[in-house]
Formats: sequence, structure tokens, C-alpha cells
Amino acid sequence: MSVVRASASEPTPTTDTPRDAGGAAALTVSPSGLVLEARQSAAALLPQLRAGEPLAQVVPWLAPAHDAACGRAEAPGPVCDVVDGRAVDARPVRHGDGSITWWLIDVTVVRSLRDELRLEQARASFLAEASAALLGSLNVLRCIEISADLAASRLADAALVIAPETRGRCQVASAVTGTRTARTVLRRIDTEQLPGLAEALQGFPPVPSRWIDPALAPAWLAPDGFGEIGSVVVTPLPGHGVPAGALVLLRRAGSGPFSEGEETTAREFATRAGLAMSAARMFADQASITDTLMRELLPPTLQHLHGVEFAGGYRPSQDHERVGGDFYDVHPAVEGSGGTLAVLGDVCGKGLEAAVFTGKIRSALQALLPLAEDHPRLLRLLNDALITDAHARFVTMVLASVTRRGADIRLRLTCAGHPPPLIIRADGRVEEAATHGTLIGALPSIESTTFTTALAPGETCLLYTDGITEAQGGPLGRDMFGEDRLRRVAAECAGMPAEAVVERVQMVAAQWAGRNSHDDMAVMAVTAPHTHHLAAVDGRGPGRFTA
Amino acid sequence: MNDLGELSLTGSRPRADTARLAIAGDLDHTNADQLTKAVEELLGEHGAVRWLRLDCAGLQFCDSYGLASLLMVRRLVTAASAELHLDNRARALERLLVVTHTVEYLTGACDDRETEPREARPGPLPENSSEGGT
Repeated sequence: MSVVRASASEPTPTTDTPRDAGGAAALTVSPSGLVLEARQSAAALLPQLRAGEPLAQVVPWLAPAHDAACGRAEAPGPVCDVVDGRAVDARPVRHGDGSITWWLIDVTVVRSLRDELRLEQARASFLAEASAALLGSLNVLRCIEISADLAASRLADAALVIAPETRGRCQVASAVTGTRTARTVLRRIDTEQLPGLAEALQGFPPVPSRWIDPALAPAWLAPDGFGEIGSVVVTPLPGHGVPAGALVLLRRAGSGPFSEGEETTAREFATRAGLAMSAARMFADQASITDTLMRELLPPTLQHLHGVEFAGGYRPSQDHERVGGDFYDVHPAVEGSGGTLAVLGDVCGKGLEAAVFTGKIRSALQALLPLAEDHPRLLRLLNDALITDAHARFVTMVLASVTRRGADIRLRLTCAGHPPPLIIRADGRVEEAATHGTLIGALPSIESTTFTTALAPGETCLLYTDGITEAQGGPLGRDMFGEDRLRRVAAECAGMPAEAVVERVQMVAAQWAGRNSHDDMAVMAVTAPHTHHLAAVDGRGPGRFTA
Repeated sequence: MNDLGELSLTGSRPRADTARLAIAGDLDHTNADQLTKAVEELLGEHGAVRWLRLDCAGLQFCDSYGLASLLMVRRLVTAASAELHLDNRARALERLLVVTHTVEYLTGACDDRETEPREARPGPLPENSSEGGT
């Protein structure tokens, strides 16, 4: 080891171990600020270092720290600085004679690692923040705007998110750093105008910024008042198998181009944004399918028909599937139908599959309407039409053919695997219709018996699905609503109009279920309206009435 | 059986010509396909099954989808030239079968609620005949 030694020195330089200990560079400085000794390696780190010269001249950045350290009694602390592009840590050790040895450590590598770590942490936290923000929305437009906002907040001076073209137009969300939120416009754009955009929208690899000449950028790319574009990066937003769009990052002239690290971050961000947008789009597609089906499959609003009151109520299960398996319809009389045909049914299964099956049954019933005079035959034909080897899904239903006979209503009821309807008499008696039959769609042959009765004014026939009777709840939370309770509620509804009966039954069953999840509940009431005899026909015999 | 109503299916082979499947828990649209699958396996792995006995003692709940899978089981059993029996049916299941008019189809003309063995029918099953998993 070679040591550069001061020629004239006060106090006499010593050679005790701390000053000589090997490894790092070190220089010993007297209390008056004279460099007493310095190692060669210290000279390499600090080329102008000479032993015997004042510290303030050879290592000016260390002099103030040295003076401060000498002026204080307590142990001095470390200092650091950047010397000729190298980061240097100086750690003092005080000696008995008041001189201080400054151990100099080159921390350039440590520093750069630390800086890289900090960058990496910032990148990770940005990506985590982005994921959280993006996952918060299943709305496509919102997702696009959040992506543009996030990109503009960290990645560039402005960001555009361009969704794939639909019907010749693209949704373009643009956000400028520092402004509040992104704006989305639907515009017709020529994707060929910006190099790489057409490819990115098709999911091809990103085009690095240096490949795009900002002068080629089309005018619509720069947001209003953005100024001259300095650099552009186009990155595809990959979706679930299909591209979700493209991310365009812009920097103003003079901001410098995108570094490789920044492009990597942009790509990682794009992956997250693309998946979120794609998920939102899939959800929107699903929701639109469900809405379309709902419109088609939801039970109709019922009204009075040919002097008979019809009312229906449907409460779908609160489960995730919004389309349920219960349905009801009222078909006005046609030739051969033997009166107005009311149908209430319950399809086996849940969700979309059940909804599609329901649609099939309703269309089949509509087609079989001219044969409704003969319920068992209609049911047999329906059974034949629905049966399949693939599965044993079935439907249970009640058919009710309704004809007005004077003030009374003639009612033919046939059950097919369904709980029999209740007849609510004017005096509060509740009778169960004596009809039963096999469910439809699963067995090779079926049978059914029809029950015929008449409703006097104010009397109601109540059709329901087992979602009502099987609703679990009550005071203990686990009891079934059951038929007895339904009969009691029905008895209280004697003399009420059809709408009121439906409302009442639904309300009581819903209250019973409380917060418990329940199956679909459907109720339909067929009621003979209260009538007033026309004075002209003496008010007795069968004949003229007003509804 | 457990409080959560999770479906459990336990197959066994009490006699050479008889397969037995104990159903416990809830049979509904979320899991009813497991039943048909289990029956397919039982009928497939043991040739010459003449009787399939579904023990419904532990069946806590059966929705319409569950019934559909029972109907499917009947088809599978018939296709395998075997006979289906539904043992130990609780009141709710019995009611579901009565309302939907499927008792006869699912159980043949015989009344399986009787535990008395009859001629030409498999005898009563030993109490702890469960072996093997689902």
C-alpha cells in the first residue's frame, strides 16, 4: 500500500491502525484543515488531492463539513456529494489529536441501484393504482376515460385511447396532463394516417416512439391547445383474445423522447387497460343480450279482456340471473280456442337457458292456440314438441280458459305438473281446483284432467308458482310460506279486484321471505268483476249486465 | 349430510346386481348434473346392474332442476335395462313427485316406500353399506 505523506505537518502524522486500515480510500485532515495524509486510492477518487495542502483547496465540497465537525464536540456525521459524476460518501472518524480521517466510499453503483429501485417502485405503484382504478368500472366508456386519464397522469403529456372501429367510427378519449378528466368523442378517423395505429388496433406489436415522425401525426391527434408534438408512441391494448384498442402517448416538442423503460411501463399499463376495457365490453355485450331477452321474455302487463279481470305479478329471484323461469300470458280468444286462454308456468332451470326455453314454450303455445278448446290435447302436442333426448328439462303450467257467461265466468283449468290454482269464493271460502297432470317436456307420454267451474262476480281464480309457497322466511327465517298461509291470505282477498289480489299475495309472500333469497315468484288472478244489473231487464234473470 | 346442504353422493354395491347411491344435501340447479354423472359411472363400471336404488333419506331439498336430473337418471337406468328405485323419500320430495305426476314414471308402478322385500326384488339393504366415494 502506498501512502502520500505530508512533508511538513503539525501535529505529527501518526500511523496507528484506523488511519492505515485497508480497503476504502481515506484522507486524514488536521483540525486547521490541512490534509495530513491521503491514500493513493483516495487520490484516484479525488485527483487534485495532495497531502499537505489545505482541504478547502483540494476537496472544497468536504471543507465545510470538516470545519463543522471540528467545531463540535459530538461525533461528526457522514456527508456525501457527487464528484465528477461519481457519488461519494464521506464518513468521518475523529482521532485523539483532533484530526479527522474521512473515509471516502464510492457509492455510485449503490446510488444508481437505489434510483432504479425507486423508479421500479414508482412504476409498480402506478401499475397497481391503475389496476385498482380500472377494475372499479364495468362501463366501457368510463374504462376508456380512466385509461386515458391514468396514462396522461404518469406516462406522457397527453394520452389518447382509441377503441376499435364500430360502424366506421372510433371512440377516442383524450386526456392532457394536468387537466381534470378525459373527454370522449366518437369520430370517423383514418387509422392509416398515424403509422402503427391500424396495426395496433389489430393487436400487432407496438411501434416504438422513434419510428414515428411527429410531423406525420394527423391534426386530430393533438388535443386542443396542446402545441407541437415532440414524440409519439402507439401501443396496442390487448383484450381477451381480441384487441381492445390502442393507446397513443404524446409528448410536447422539447420534452425528450420516450425512454425504453417508459415504453415498457406503457406496454404493461396497456395490458391492464386493455383487459379492463375488454372485460367491460364483454359485460356490456352480456347486459345488452340480457336486456333484449328480458324485453322479449318478461311477462306482459295484463288488463281487462272481454269483461274479465286479469292481473299478473312477477318477482324474479334476487339471484344474479335477471331472467327467470316463471312466465304468464293471456291470449285473447281465437277461433277454436274456447275462450281467452291464460297460462302461467314455471320452467325448470335458471338464467339464460331457462329464458330461452321459456321463449320456446311461449311461441309453441301461441301456435297451438286454435287447439285450446281441448286442454289435454294441447298439452300432449306441446309435450311432443318439447321432448328431447339431450336433457330432461321440463315446464310445469296451468292452463285457464275463460269465457264470460252473463255476470259469471266459466273457467276450465288444467294443471300440468303444477300446483293447482285456488278459487276464492265471494264468501271467503278458498277451494283448490281439482285438476292435476304430468309435467311437460320430459316424459314420453303425459296425462291430465281438466276442472271446470264458474266464478260469480267478485270471485277470483288465483294461479301461482311454487316460488310463493316455497319462499323461506317468517319469524324464524327457515319456515316455508306454504299452502296453508297462501290459502289464508287468499281468503282475506275475497271480493277484491284482480290487481288487489295479486298485490296482496305478492306483498305478503315478499314480507315472509324478507331478506332471504327466493325463487322466482309469479302470481296471476282471473276475477269476475262486480256487475250492476241493468234496470231495464228487471235485474234477475241471466241477460244484460255491465262490467 | 351437513348444514350447508352441500350435495354428497355415495355409491356402493350391496349386491352383485344392485347399485346403491345415497344422496345427501340439496339437489338443485348448481349441482344436479353431478347426480346423472354419478349414475352414469355406477351403471358403466358395474356391468349387469339390474337395480339402481337411490337412497333419498339425506336429500334435504330438490328443486325443479333436481327433478329433471332424476328424470334423466330414469332414462339412463331404462337404457341400461335396469330398474330404478327411490328409497326413503321425504315428504317434500314425495309431494314434488305427486304434483308433477312423476311418481309412477320414476319408480315404476311399485310403491318403493315400503321397506318390505318382495319376491323378485332385491332384499333390504344392510344398514352401513356405504363404501367408496362419490
